[in-house]
Amino acid sequence: MKRLLLVAALAAACAQPAKKDYSKLVSSNPRALLVVPVVNKSVDVDAADYFLSTLSVPLAERGYYVFPVNLVKRMLEDYGLADASLVHGTDPVRLCALFGADAVLFVTIEQWTAKYLFLTTQVTVEFDYVLKDGRTGEELWKDHETGVYSSDSGGGGLAGAIAAAIVAKAAPNYMPLARRANATAMAYPGPGFPAGPYRPEYRKDLPAAAAPEAPAAAKPAAPQASPAPK
Amino acid sequence: MRPPNVLGALAALAGVAPFGCAQNTMYRWGGYDQALYDHYKNPQRRDEFVAKLSGVIEEAEAKGGLVPPGCYAEYGWARYEEGRGREAVVSFEKESKQWPESRPLMDKLIRNVARAKAPATTPAAVPASAVEKGKK
Repeated sequence: MKRLLLVAALAAACAQPAKKDYSKLVSSNPRALLVVPVVNKSVDVDAADYFLSTLSVPLAERGYYVFPVNLVKRMLEDYGLADASLVHGTDPVRLCALFGADAVLFVTIEQWTAKYLFLTTQVTVEFDYVLKDGRTGEELWKDHETGVYSSDSGGGGLAGAIAAAIVAKAAPNYMPLARRANATAMAYPGPGFPAGPYRPEYRKDLPAAAAPEAPAAAKPAAPQASPAPK
Repeated sequence: MRPPNVLGALAALAGVAPFGCAQNTMYRWGGYDQALYDHYKNPQRRDEFVAKLSGVIEEAEAKGGLVPPGCYAEYGWARYEEGRGREAVVSFEKESKQWPESRPLMDKLIRNVARAKAPATTPAAVPASAVEKGKK
């Protein structure tokens, strides 16, 4: 039964009939993404840094330039922004200007917990991802992922080595679930990012509705010196 | 019903395997994410972190691939923190050259290194007396 539940949970996480509105992301067309330190709502104080270490690779693999997360973290500390919630409360336009980024990814850990029940260990991670535009501060994209792993008594034959790795010894290993959540969040098509400029399918994989034709309001149509009275 | 479910679970969990070691990535990450993780887990072992960053770069360069975005800069920053400004600048310049998106930030960091170095070098570089002697 436990196995069925796990499968159901994973299937639900993967299936998402993603009818996402990509129009803002497509018209903003960011190349360089800033990933700032993670806000941690769990009680595990180490979770924020651990999770931060998992974000660069999947994001860069989507074809974007990703600023080095540790350098960014240290520079923000130098600017007096050692607390991630302070960083998340800072104007995205200002943050992006500091680094020359086109957009900034804010990630929050909602859950990072292990429950030890009578015969099972249940490990849960839950994340909230929001990408904001570096010029307008507008939200361009968001996603939410949950990953649950539940062991049988004794780790139970399900996926031997991996199951053992998650609930090994005294400390559960959250990282496989965290990486899995990122992979799902960033996968495309799906909830994730269309190909960035370093992928060959850049601008060729866009959903029909969000195709670039209309440059939208984000980029003011060149000259015209619109005297637009507000 | 049961066998397919178990297979499905296996397939799903197979995706749990860490990034970086898979063949189908665009970049050769060489354990960059693991190096960061280890650094946050054991910050006192800073030398290992710097050595791993250096390894990521060497491996990617040796195999003729692109050094992944951010890696030169991360390494440069580590050197900058150690006060090894010249090495830091070399890495910042490489990042800037390979990844144009990083240029504004790298330029800023390079200027910072120069500024940090200035007080130390100024007295040695142009001692007024030396200039006067030269004139005579």
